[in-house]
Amino acid sequence: MTPFELAEPRSLREAASLLVAGGEPARAIAGGTALMLMMKAGVFQPKRLVSLRGVEARYSEISATPDGSLHIGALATLTALAHAEAVKKAAPVITQTLKTLSNVRVRNVATVGGALAHGDPHMDLPPVLTALDARVNTVSPGGGRTLAVGELYTGYYETALADDELIAEVIVPPLASAAAQGGWRAVYKKITTRAADDWPTLGIAVALCREANQVKDARLVVSAATNTPVRLLAAENTLRGAVLDAATLARCGDAAMAEVELAGDAHGSSAYKRELLRVHVQRALREIMV
Amino acid sequence: MSTNRTITFTLNDAPVATTVGTHQTLLEALQAQGLTGARESCAQGLCGCCTVLVNGTAVSGCLYLAVFADKADIKTIEYSPEGQLDAVQQAFIECGAFQCGYCTPGFVLMTRQLLDGNAHPSDDEIKHYLSGNLCRCAAYPEIIKAVKLAAARRESSRQSMDKG
Repeated sequence: MTPFELAEPRSLREAASLLVAGGEPARAIAGGTALMLMMKAGVFQPKRLVSLRGVEARYSEISATPDGSLHIGALATLTALAHAEAVKKAAPVITQTLKTLSNVRVRNVATVGGALAHGDPHMDLPPVLTALDARVNTVSPGGGRTLAVGELYTGYYETALADDELIAEVIVPPLASAAAQGGWRAVYKKITTRAADDWPTLGIAVALCREANQVKDARLVVSAATNTPVRLLAAENTLRGAVLDAATLARCGDAAMAEVELAGDAHGSSAYKRELLRVHVQRALREIMV
Repeated sequence: MSTNRTITFTLNDAPVATTVGTHQTLLEALQAQGLTGARESCAQGLCGCCTVLVNGTAVSGCLYLAVFADKADIKTIEYSPEGQLDAVQQAFIECGAFQCGYCTPGFVLMTRQLLDGNAHPSDDEIKHYLSGNLCRCAAYPEIIKAVKLAAARRESSRQSMDKG
């Protein structure tokens, strides 16, 4: 790694303004695990970084509001997210996802905001939070805004965040309260071809809202073999109003495979991943039905 | 703004003040202090050979900026307040849970963390928790035995303390 200037602001808003205080826009660093991999590989040689580690403690908090939505501070570590009782209760799919997200030491340091803002399509939280219809609140020198996690990604390692904009918190809408009316349930299938905590060959997040036997609504997201997390809209349409029987599952798997281009890489060819998608979309749905 | 920083931290109970480059890792800073128990192997946070405790939490020293350790309490495998091996180290020796020993400091530190949070882990829990530690000699079966032996030893020493 090469030397860089490091700014250490005490507030998130100050951090946002410091991002554009120099010549070229600077990157923010929190846990630094993902950024340091890039710096060690020499693909990122920053002149200046802005540390978020000294900002207000409230941005590390995780809480549930009375309506059942989760508020996750962007600086919360993945370990804090993995152990939060509120998360286990409101969105167990997140707790489950974290079990195979990297390893204990990385989770101890890496942050939720970093996992989202890095824009790496192999990360597990973006597809899961997209399927949960989560949104982020951002902070910038002039204010901030709210956008859906599904709107955050514009390309390979590219996000919709402005140069002076930082994710402040993630809000996951209530799933549990909807459960009273049939309910949303979600699962994430992380398909790896080597170790369980390896980068995924394919990530598939499925959220389903059912009433009695019928599907009211569905959100299916694929990642890791695409430039950004991608909603599988045609596959979702095969589910709405349908009864989840073997024929519906097969139709959904076929639609998913047909509607998206998957990139081949060292983890598997494009054709192999298409077959994985067809099979695992159905397995995810079966898991939800149990 | 300078690219060097003077940081202070507690290293195995001793105060340290040192100047580091902003781009230096905690691992590099520890090696500059003459400690080689944490060592770089994969350099990507995957193998656990560089495991260090920062304020009681295990991190990969190779993926942790030294400047982030300012004012922290750092403990490494060299930390030995009683001057003798603990139950985990003793169990690794008795079970032959290593060959070359390069990964052992990381395995020992992570095993202590595991047992602190889960006194009697199952085989699956051990494998899952230690999935971020790689042993290229593949002493995994012996490592799992050692973790279980250490768990039993810690339990019996707790019980004898309770009786005492």
